[in-house]
Amino acid sequence: MQSIISKGKTLQEAIDTGLYLLNVSRDEVNIEVIQQETKVFFGLKSKEAVVKMTKQLSHAFTPAYEKKAEGDVKEKTDAFQLLDQMIDVLPEIDRAPADSLQDTWKAELKKPLEQAPPNELAGKVWVQNGRLFCQSSPNKYPVVTIPEHVKLFRNRELVQEDTIIVSEQDFYEVTVAEEERDTVWEVKMDHNKLKVELYVKPGYRMTRSLVDIEPDSRIKLKVDEQKKVNNTLSYTDVMQVLEERRVKHGFHQAEIVRATETEESGLFTIATGIEPIPGQDGWLDIQIDMDSKKGPREIDHNRVDYREIKSIPNVESGQVIAVVHPPIPGQPGRTVTNEPLPAKQTHPIAVRAGKGIAIIENKVIATEPGRPHLEQRNHIAKFSIMSKLTHPGNVDLSSGNIRFKGDVEIMGEISERMKVEAEGDVMVHQSINRAHVTSNGAVIANGGIVASDISSGKNNMMITELGIALEPIQFDLKRINQLINQLILSPGFKASDFSRSGLQPLLHILLEKKFKHFPSLIKKYKEIIEQGEAYLIDPVWREMDEKLSRIFLTLSNDIVSIEQLKGILSQIDEMYEYSQLPVEPNSYIHTPNVLSSRLFCSGDVKIFGKSSVNTKIHAGGKLEISGALRGGEVFGRMGVKVKEAGAESNTPTFISVPADQQIQIDYVLEGTTIKVGTRKYMFSESRRYVTASLNHQNQISFV
Amino acid sequence: MIAFSIKAISEQEAVICLDGDLDIDSTEVVEENILPEMESYSQITFDFSKVPFVDSSGMGLLLNIVHALHDQHKSIKIINVNEDVQIVFDLLQIPEIIGEDIFL
Repeated sequence: MQSIISKGKTLQEAIDTGLYLLNVSRDEVNIEVIQQETKVFFGLKSKEAVVKMTKQLSHAFTPAYEKKAEGDVKEKTDAFQLLDQMIDVLPEIDRAPADSLQDTWKAELKKPLEQAPPNELAGKVWVQNGRLFCQSSPNKYPVVTIPEHVKLFRNRELVQEDTIIVSEQDFYEVTVAEEERDTVWEVKMDHNKLKVELYVKPGYRMTRSLVDIEPDSRIKLKVDEQKKVNNTLSYTDVMQVLEERRVKHGFHQAEIVRATETEESGLFTIATGIEPIPGQDGWLDIQIDMDSKKGPREIDHNRVDYREIKSIPNVESGQVIAVVHPPIPGQPGRTVTNEPLPAKQTHPIAVRAGKGIAIIENKVIATEPGRPHLEQRNHIAKFSIMSKLTHPGNVDLSSGNIRFKGDVEIMGEISERMKVEAEGDVMVHQSINRAHVTSNGAVIANGGIVASDISSGKNNMMITELGIALEPIQFDLKRINQLINQLILSPGFKASDFSRSGLQPLLHILLEKKFKHFPSLIKKYKEIIEQGEAYLIDPVWREMDEKLSRIFLTLSNDIVSIEQLKGILSQIDEMYEYSQLPVEPNSYIHTPNVLSSRLFCSGDVKIFGKSSVNTKIHAGGKLEISGALRGGEVFGRMGVKVKEAGAESNTPTFISVPADQQIQIDYVLEGTTIKVGTRKYMFSESRRYVTASLNHQNQISFV
Repeated sequence: MIAFSIKAISEQEAVICLDGDLDIDSTEVVEENILPEMESYSQITFDFSKVPFVDSSGMGLLLNIVHALHDQHKSIKIINVNEDVQIVFDLLQIPEIIGEDIFL
């Protein structure tokens, strides 16, 4: 390939000189501008125009010099087209005997192709020195794929397609995109003001150039990328922002420097505060063994070892039951803005002294001998000593009803229409017959239960029930409180009468429409209290009913202040929270046989003898019947296990458990109904070894 | 304290223009002076344009009056309630209690 460097005062002059030297027309060379001429200003030095001119091998397209030689382009393109048209007719000429003029043309045209045989380049396209060259063939057109960052112009028009067929008849120009990005950075502070992070994405300059590609029928243009990172972030920039954000503390200087020097995007932690160290809530250190065995141990089906129950721990008067430890406060932290950050509040454990308990300084001490009892929910612990009443004979008309704040042991039986109420456990050595027994602990009836009402752990159940009733009251009371606050802030509202007649006039208006249903919620709560008042140990539940009734039901003229309302609300919050806490149920009912009775227990119920007949049983824990279940309705919150269920007399027998539990029956008689969650199933024939639970489709399935 | 003026439009119709806060101090004036004046009219309009503030006792009184007059099959309208007072009425759903058609 022949090429020369030509100089001139102007570009035109340099080109003309070059053409003269090469002895070719302008159409037959590639011209590359190496240096533009600079004009002479006031006699200062000027630069000459320099061009590199290369004799073309084939038809090549030279975009490089066109910027300055704009005027020549049209003419040049026309010349090309003329030439191309002639080439197109060449094959025909070949076939027919050519006339001499055309032969000359042909010879001339073939001249630049001499170095590359036409059959090798025909139908191919290639890239050389940043330019696109191609050669058509009659039966094949070369194909070019245009990658990202490359723009191909065909006859000065941008090609939109990703892949195009190129033809010699068109004129192509290729440009590659240059890219420049500024450094992007951002300072972020977390909401605790404990951490400041700096995100940096350094700027860069991307230089691209077209890579040479060997002739092929199909090519993909390739660019060579050169990325030069230019991180313009300075230390002062960062410090300025930190000052604006009032960051004063915990800087990591090295990280800031690293961020200003980084070539990769990254997140730098440039300042950190000191996190507060959490403290520890108050706790109880129990000094004695309080674990009691869950009732008497069964030896075989009908016999129970009562010596076991005597192993329940006992304390002497004056004995220390527990030591109360105060909370350990946490250490405050410090934010990056140099503000103190308080540690999470720690709660002391509130100890309440029940019967037979004295609290001296931080010690819980028994003042009487008996069985220590602890009821703990969250931060409240209530200790009491269960003293024990042993009744040597029967409970009947001659002994009267028994009410005792402790455990009761009855050596005989409880007979017709008698009542026994105990805050602790009740143990009856013989039977319970047409009587009422209520206990906050366990009920053990060795002689069986006939036509009686037995309630064990009622207190816990009541509290759960009251908690459910309190929830909507709490919700509405919160809204009432919010509304009052909103009213006080309203410019058209005068709060003047609050001090004189209290909130009552306002509450009247609210109950008229906006909180029309509120009184019915309180009535519901009241009903539960009235039904079960006897079982509630803590008076706060009844007191709350009185407070709410006085304000919202009887609408008495007592002056109610906003503070009072808020006080009630916070008390309800506390009571509701308390009701939601699970307690370890220390209640259970154990008896060999039960007939036509109602058993209500917050813990497990165990019928370990022959049968449960026509009895309604509600167990907050597990229900286990080792014998037959004949008639009646039974429910086990934690599942039901029965040896034999159903009655031949077709007395309805109904067993239910919640959706997450299962029912296990060794032998189930035809006609027995079971219910798991909301799904019911009635056995149409007797079956053995049935375990029923809900499957994924929420249907009862048997294992 | 609240003041009031009564403008009789016809034998049945009167406009009562209240002037001052409708509050606990106004209840006496309203009960002892305004209510007797209304006896003879069957269409009564309360003009609230000069009532800048209300309190809960005042609103309770208003509810009572409207209910009482309704029971006597009299027609009541309340007009020109200023924006601040209207916000208070709306918060307490007063229009829903006494009937939205009463407010013009």
